[in-house]
Parts: sequence; C-alpha cells; structure tokens
Amino acid sequence: MKFEHCIRCTICVENCPVFRVNPAFPGPKQAGPDAERFRSDREKSVDDWVLLCSQCKRCEMACPCGVEPAQIILRAQQRYGREHPHTAAHLLFANNYYLSTLGSLTAPVANRFAATKIGKRIFRRMGIATYIPFPRFSFRTLRGEKKSISRGNRKVAFFYGCFINFYRPDIGRKIIRLLQSFKIDVVLPPQWCCGLPALGNGNLELARSFARKNVASLSNYIDAGYEVVYTCTSCGLCLLHDYQGIMDIPEAKKIAENSYDLHEYLLRLIAGKEIRPKFQEVHRTLAYHIPCHLRALKIGYPAAELMQRIPDLECRILDDACCGLNGSYGFKKINETTAVQLGSRAVSLISKTGAEAIVADCGSCRMQLGGLSGMASYDPAEILCEALGIRDKKQMK
Amino acid sequence: MSVIAYDVIVIGAGTAGLTAGARLASEGLQVALVTAGEPTACLSTGCIDVCAAGVNPLDGIADLPESHPYHRIAPAAIRDALLNFQRQCAGLHLPYTGAPDQNRLVLSAIGTFKTSCLVPVTMRSSPQNEEEKIHIVTFAGLKDFYPGYILSRLRNAAFSTYDAGVSTTMGIAANFEDDTFLEAFILWLEKLNLRENKIAFPAVLGLESAAAIVDTLEQRLERPVFEIPTIPPSMPGRRLFNVLKDHFRRQGGVIYWNWPVVGVEKAGRQIEAVRLESQGRPMSLNARAFILATGSFVGGGLSARRETIIEKVFDLPVFVPGTREDWFEQDYFSRNHGIGRAGIAADAAFRPDGCPWDNIFACGAILAHVEALKNGCGHGFAIATGEAAARSCLEYLR
Repeated sequence: MKFEHCIRCTICVENCPVFRVNPAFPGPKQAGPDAERFRSDREKSVDDWVLLCSQCKRCEMACPCGVEPAQIILRAQQRYGREHPHTAAHLLFANNYYLSTLGSLTAPVANRFAATKIGKRIFRRMGIATYIPFPRFSFRTLRGEKKSISRGNRKVAFFYGCFINFYRPDIGRKIIRLLQSFKIDVVLPPQWCCGLPALGNGNLELARSFARKNVASLSNYIDAGYEVVYTCTSCGLCLLHDYQGIMDIPEAKKIAENSYDLHEYLLRLIAGKEIRPKFQEVHRTLAYHIPCHLRALKIGYPAAELMQRIPDLECRILDDACCGLNGSYGFKKINETTAVQLGSRAVSLISKTGAEAIVADCGSCRMQLGGLSGMASYDPAEILCEALGIRDKKQMK
Repeated sequence: MSVIAYDVIVIGAGTAGLTAGARLASEGLQVALVTAGEPTACLSTGCIDVCAAGVNPLDGIADLPESHPYHRIAPAAIRDALLNFQRQCAGLHLPYTGAPDQNRLVLSAIGTFKTSCLVPVTMRSSPQNEEEKIHIVTFAGLKDFYPGYILSRLRNAAFSTYDAGVSTTMGIAANFEDDTFLEAFILWLEKLNLRENKIAFPAVLGLESAAAIVDTLEQRLERPVFEIPTIPPSMPGRRLFNVLKDHFRRQGGVIYWNWPVVGVEKAGRQIEAVRLESQGRPMSLNARAFILATGSFVGGGLSARRETIIEKVFDLPVFVPGTREDWFEQDYFSRNHGIGRAGIAADAAFRPDGCPWDNIFACGAILAHVEALKNGCGHGFAIATGEAAARSCLEYLR
C-alpha cells in the first residue's frame, strides 16, 4: 500500500489490459495511487469505475517501485461494495460456490437449462454475459472421491478449487494419479471456495468466512505432515496472499508457508532428486497462455519448465495478454465488451504461433480462450499426464 | 523442500540483463531472470544509442575517457553484439535499421534531433535536417504529444488531427491493431491529399504489428512515413522490451516477475542464492553464477544516501564521484552531472572491483563511468556489456 512510492512512470498503465480497451477505466495509476490520496474515511466512495478493475494484478507485477495499484484498488472496491447495494450478478458470483453446489446436484437439468434461449435471456436480464457458453456442471464432483493411499514419502492435501470440482473433476482425478505415480499420498481435505470470487465481487465478509473454514481444515492436515498443493493459480494467490493480506486471517501464514503450486511442487521434488519423471515424446505444438495470477505468484512459470523437459513438445510461452475473463469479471454484462476485446487479442496472438492447442493453468482462461477460438485447451497437468502415459480411468466418453 | 537451482540467475530485466540472459541460455545453460518490475527500457524511445560522438559511434567510443567501461570490450565485439541484436529483432518482426558504424538522427517530440545508431524500422524515415517537408498527423485529445513544439522548429512542417475515438497512447495503439480501424484511418488520410514528402505520427502505430502497419501506410500513401517517439507510455520502448523478452524465452530462459531481491546466501567466495521477501515461506533461488543488471538510479540498482551511494542487491562497493557537492551541476538540464559517473567499477571480465565473491558479473547502466546522458550511449552500451559479461560468466562456469 505504499502509494507514495509511485514515481508516475506509467509502466503500470502500459500493462493494464482494461485500460487498453475501456476508456471508462482511468487506469491503475489514476485509480490506484493517484486517487488514493483523495479517498477519505469520512466521505462515501463515489468512484464506481473502481469496479472496472479486473484484479489481474499485471500493474503490480510491472511496478518497479513496489507500489501495489491492484491492492489499493481492491480495497477501494471492498469499500464501494460496503457502501452501495450489490447488483444481482455481483451477489450471484460472490456466492458461486453455493450456486455451483446446487448446479452440480442438478447437473443434467441445470446444464440443459443454461444452454437454452430462455436460460440465456434470464442470464442477460440479470446482467450476466453469455458470449461464451457457461461451463457445464459435472454431476460427479471431485469432492466425492474416495481416499486412496499409495504409502509414499510425501503427503499431499490437494486443494482442487471450484473449477476442477464442479466443472472438470476429470482433470482433478488425473492430477491425483499424476501425484500418486510418484508415490505421493494424496488426500482431499474438506474445503470450500477459496473466497476470491466473493472478494472480487465486493463481499469481504463472505470471503473471510470461506477463508476461515479453509484455514481451519488445511491447518489440521499441515500439522499431520501434509503439504498443501493447489492447481488453480487464482486459488493459490488467494491462499498465499489475500488470506494474510486483505482478509487478515489468523494462522494464514502457516498455510502460505506450506502451500505449493502443483508444478512448482514437482519441480522442487525433481531438484531434490526425490522424483525422476521419465517423459515420453509428445508430438504437439502448444501455445502456453500464462494466467495473470500465475505471474503474480512469483514462482516463475514452473509448468513451462516441466513441459520443456518433454521430448518433441513445442511449447510457445505467451504472457503479454490477459484473456479478459478474470473469473467472474467477464461474465458481467458491464464488462462483456472489455472481456471479448481482450480475449480476441489473446486469441490472435495465440493463432500467430501456429499452435494446434492452448495450454493454461487457469480454468477460466481456458474457458475464455477455448470458447473464443474454438481450439482445444488443456491444463498443463494433462500434458504431463500424456507424457507419462497417465489416463483418467473414470472419464466417461 | 528443495530449492530450485539454475546455472545462472540474472537480476534485472532491462536491455543488459535480457541480452546477457539470452546469450547464456543460447549456450545451453539453465537461466532464470528475476526482476523487481519492468525495466526503464519500457520508458525509452526504443532507439539503440551506441555513442553520440562522431559520425561513426565506434570511433566516438575510441575517444571516450580511459575509465569508460566500453574500453573493456574489443571494438569488433561491440560491433558483433549490435549486429547480433539486429538479427534477433529482424527475426521477431521488429527490424532495426542502420549500421553499428553509422550514427543518424531521430526527430524528437519537441522538434529537436537526437543522435542514435540503430533505430526501429518505424523511425527509418525520420528526417535528418530541419528543412524536410513533413506532415504530422496527431490524434484528438492525445495529451502526450504536441505537434506545436515540432512546428516551432521545423518551418516546413504542417499537421492534421484524427479522431481515433480514444485519446490515450495505449488505447490508440490498441485500435491500430484492428484492420478495420486502420483501413478507415488510411481512407481519411488519402482524402487529405497531403503534399508533403513524408508523413509523421506520434509513436502509437500499434504494439505487436507496428512494422507491418508502417509498411501498409507507406504502400497506400506512396511515400515514407515514420513515428516520432513520445514521452511514456512509450510504444517503441515496450516493443523493444517485448522483443528482447521473447528472444530470451526462445533460448529457454525463465522470468520471475515482481521479485525484488532482498537477501543473499553466501559461502566463502561464492554467492549461493538470492532471496525474495515473501509473506509466506521464504522464496529463494540457487545458482552457480549471478549477473547484476539492475540499472542505475531510475532502474533501481543504485540508491543515493546523504553522503554515499549504495548498490542495493549485494551491497557491492560503489564508485562515488567525489562529495555530494560534486554530484550535481547548477543547471538541471546539464548532461554533465557528476552523479552520472557513479556505479560499480568493474575489471576486464566485468567482475565488480573489490567484490568479495567470484561469481558475480555486472553489466549495463549500473557500471561506473558510463555517463549515458553525456555520451549518448544507452541501449547500445547495455547490449555490448550484456554480451561481454555473459561471455565472462560462461568462461567462469566452464
């Protein structure tokens, strides 16, 4: 929050995807450090444009002076949320976890309804964009998986996140098999939404309640010698930074100290010679779209380093474009144009590489880029599984 | 858990750091680059200034004071580094025109001429004297570019204004990436029936496709067009950064963003790891050698205290030009401020003088006696020393 350190060099502005395409947003410099000096506790917040920030955090990654424009704006967003009524879309997306639980239980009906014209019209009426199909709920979530123990040296508590759980449990099962193939024990601890959707929709208290439950649950596992592994980069960022930061959750430091991105975890095990994966050739040309929140984790691009070790795999890294969806951000009608413009730019950069498919760690990036381009999109873990000959046996089709 | 280890860690993502990193990675080493933020290169004009003195910058270098670090590199190696840079950029759709032994002028946004050497292809046709007949096209509401400054100095210049629908550098550049926008813009230009020989634009002609956009404009308007670099946000600076970054990646290098180094781990005469302050578990990265390319004051490599100057990563000995009274001239705009000589003095292998560790190499603006403003040696110096430091590092590791 060191807004006084801003030297107005505009490097954050150059990096802001929203500012590029939406003139209504004044950019991270003005919305962050510049406006901060005019925000007073005694006055009601009036700047509705703070809500146009997508919290991609590219400004923070770029700032050479350690100012955190996105963090400053995030706090302004929470305050705006406290002082103004929430729209239907904000309320729904903040509670995405409960909604998705319901959606999964009624998956056959819910999926069919979401794809109908009437369903889409209702969505639009509520301020929800429908330019890409809503992800399909999976009836069988990952949460219901039985524990399986492989008696290894390392024990992992897998924080799979809502996207994997409700929409793509098949990827979750592959990740479990991937870890087990290295003789790592994997358990699925009781877990809830990380809280980021609530935070992103101006509902700090709801975010905190999710966070407290997760911290209590994960903390028990850490005490029992488990390491937490997450696969969604946005969940990871929330666990590592927001729990200790804006949410101010006691014991959050313990979670941060013991949580690893899946690929970072594997890289560390390889560095310590604990595992020696033998990757088979994969004859593919892939465009690796780096999710904004992976950059923000400050762990480099570990999946890229792993994929570099796969023979014959051609993997081009693209980290200059935000996909524009940003979780629920692009699903709000007010942000639809921004999201489509940013997504189209990201897609055009991808198509210039001549890649046959997209890889991205983040489910929402894959949804956006796959939806707008019609190309296949994979989680990097799926590519690793392909190189190691690991399949999801339960996968239907 | 085990710490991830690389052969070399480069600290700083500017022109020097990315050049050194790419060289080392191309030799098959595992290279990671850590950076506090994006470099000052993003704010630059994107032009490669080698040495402003002389018609041939390489001759100009020969005349620099003996203390200048350029003298640690053979002239042939400087030329090779620049030619190599030109080859890389051409392969990545941002050709640079010019030759390492030929200086040229670039028209600035205030109508003055800046001496440079290699310039982005979008500035290829920038005028070489004040007499040229140019027509400047600017954009409605663009606050970072005033053609009036140029008109006051170039008497044969005229200007027109186009309404791009948006008024920021980033927004206009984004529009230019859209073919429909470009087509409408060209139609508007054609209707102006311009008589001048050359058409100038502030540097907002796209981000990724700038070279192709300039080509299209030249073909359709049947005369040379060129960009005039603006104050930040600077598209040419960002394009340069993107190309250097892309090249580094293609050699296999890895970048860690927002990674200001706050601590080092050392053993004997070796630095073993650099550390990041983090809210959670401590993050550190191991390497066998380190390249220090953190820049000078604006870049964040050096920091001035009341009476002294410190190097921020390894706390290396810094060459301080006299006492504080000697640091600044009376004239703010002087190119001769003593502080321009501050930095890390290095030997012929680009190892810092008086450094207690053997595995650190320094390059770019953090070096002492550079005086980049006075000598007009910005990115050219960064490229040459980046390559040279990488070569020394390579020899050390072998």
